[in-house]
Amino acid sequence: MARSRNHEQWTAKPSLASDEYVDSRIYSDQEIFDEEQEKIFKKAWIPVCHESEMPKAYDFRTTTVAAEPIVITRGKDMKVRAFLNVCPHRGNMIERRPSGSFLEGTPSGNPKHMTCMFHAWQFDMKGRCVYISRQEEGYQDRLQKQQVGLRELKCEVYFGGFIWVSLNDDIDMTVADWAAGSLECLQPSLDEEPLEVFHYHKAIIPCNYKLWHDTNCEFYHDYLHYHNRITGFNDAYFARKNMGFDNGHINVGSFEVNYDNYEGAHSRETISFPHLPANHWYMIDMFPGVNFNLRGSSLRCDMMTPLGPDSVMIEFRGLGLKSDDAKTRKSRIDHHNSIWGPFGRNLHEDLLAVTGQGAAMNASAEKRQILHGRHENETIHDENGMRHFYEEWGRWMDRLPSNPDKPFKENSSAVRAV
Amino acid sequence: MSGVDTANAVRDSIYRACLYKDDMAWEKWLELCDDDYYYAITAYSPEISNDMTYLSGSREDMSTMMNMLPKHNSDHSPLKRHCSVYTVDVDEKAGTATAVSSVLVYQTQLDGINCHVDAGESKVFIVGKYHDKFRVSGDGVKFIERIVKIDTRRLDKGTHYPI
Repeated sequence: MARSRNHEQWTAKPSLASDEYVDSRIYSDQEIFDEEQEKIFKKAWIPVCHESEMPKAYDFRTTTVAAEPIVITRGKDMKVRAFLNVCPHRGNMIERRPSGSFLEGTPSGNPKHMTCMFHAWQFDMKGRCVYISRQEEGYQDRLQKQQVGLRELKCEVYFGGFIWVSLNDDIDMTVADWAAGSLECLQPSLDEEPLEVFHYHKAIIPCNYKLWHDTNCEFYHDYLHYHNRITGFNDAYFARKNMGFDNGHINVGSFEVNYDNYEGAHSRETISFPHLPANHWYMIDMFPGVNFNLRGSSLRCDMMTPLGPDSVMIEFRGLGLKSDDAKTRKSRIDHHNSIWGPFGRNLHEDLLAVTGQGAAMNASAEKRQILHGRHENETIHDENGMRHFYEEWGRWMDRLPSNPDKPFKENSSAVRAV
Repeated sequence: MSGVDTANAVRDSIYRACLYKDDMAWEKWLELCDDDYYYAITAYSPEISNDMTYLSGSREDMSTMMNMLPKHNSDHSPLKRHCSVYTVDVDEKAGTATAVSSVLVYQTQLDGINCHVDAGESKVFIVGKYHDKFRVSGDGVKFIERIVKIDTRRLDKGTHYPI
């Protein structure tokens, strides 16, 4: 009896155009991962936290982009700035806490300063070195404080108060330019009044970061979610447009979700975000790994920190309006948690799926093709979102996603195979 | 019931609740709870400097959620709770009792990752405390509130099961 498919057939190119599938090695190869860190994550705008996490002067947050430790500060002038969280003396990490205030002194340093505990060098909120212990005795006149400030990074507060940084001093666009119109569908809702983070948890998942982004970019996987099938599958759902924007971003158009169809769930109509029609649901996926997801009453944001070719940290935030009263906030939290919390129905299912992908696409596994070839008039189950992402990925990496050994520039014309 | 009997009944209920949840005997767990029972999992996040609620609901909400489990795709890796009741305080006049217990939840892998490799491996899944309130009557004690305050905020795949 004939086998289903032998090795040759299993690893053969599919009968799809070259932009309709990718080589699984892009999800597992260490060299490709290292290149992504250099060519993409050190070059693009990356959101790292929300301004409500550091509301007062001298508040700070720490984070990591492309394996570089970063500290975000709010100065006395209330301006948010970003620096490498690295002492210029002997390269120690300066601030070790996830968040806090520099208003209080530390065992090695004074209030209102960032102090490296190792040798007590101190920096102000603008990153300037203001104190070197025993400076004259050790450096005489050979080294001045002005020469050893912190490395400042490009930083903007944009889109409902999210804080964006770039390690790329030469980036020639603002965050608005970088978004290229992809955020406009939610801008009125997020910029009408201040937002506040009410939820945070993190997951470290044994899969490549792009597998999580792919899952956020495609809705075909709603078959995974009983909640989404029962509250969503109707004509309006299948008509949602999946649109691509410059720089690899996409968004998915809205429709009215029938939350009442899920036992125990309720309409979110009365506490919708400003300007958002009742129970509507927009999703934005930004290159290279950010997701904004507004389901009527609560906003979710996923920020990804790739840790290795087979490991990603995802930080999940939930946001409401800063003006919420206690009852409204509780409802937003309940709505958020019911599907997106760590004990919620949908997030767990999504994370299980990408964990399975990660296990099946480990570095030792034979290469295979991952299909992104659905065409449904650029609506919700079309896989044009992933194709759009990988076209951009190929451009930044100069690697063809369907065959990463080949350069993108010479092979990018998507020719449908016969 | 005397104060000592009530305290013993509180301890017994906490441990029975653990065993029922370990066995995924959700209805038996909820039978230990009064009609106005409130359940929540909370945590403090030093990242956002805020108290958070990860899950909350009434007895009915919990029952609905558990009844819906077969319709969802879940990690079926079982959770086992190791609990030590630290304090029980009985207010005989009010007919209530409160208790604080430490809880460690272990997850033994079944189908969460690659079962051939991982199944059978146990890991600490959650560290936290139970803060319980009970109603005391002639029939015994019933849970009226459980707040699970967890320290763990890196929850990876998460779970569909209550803690």
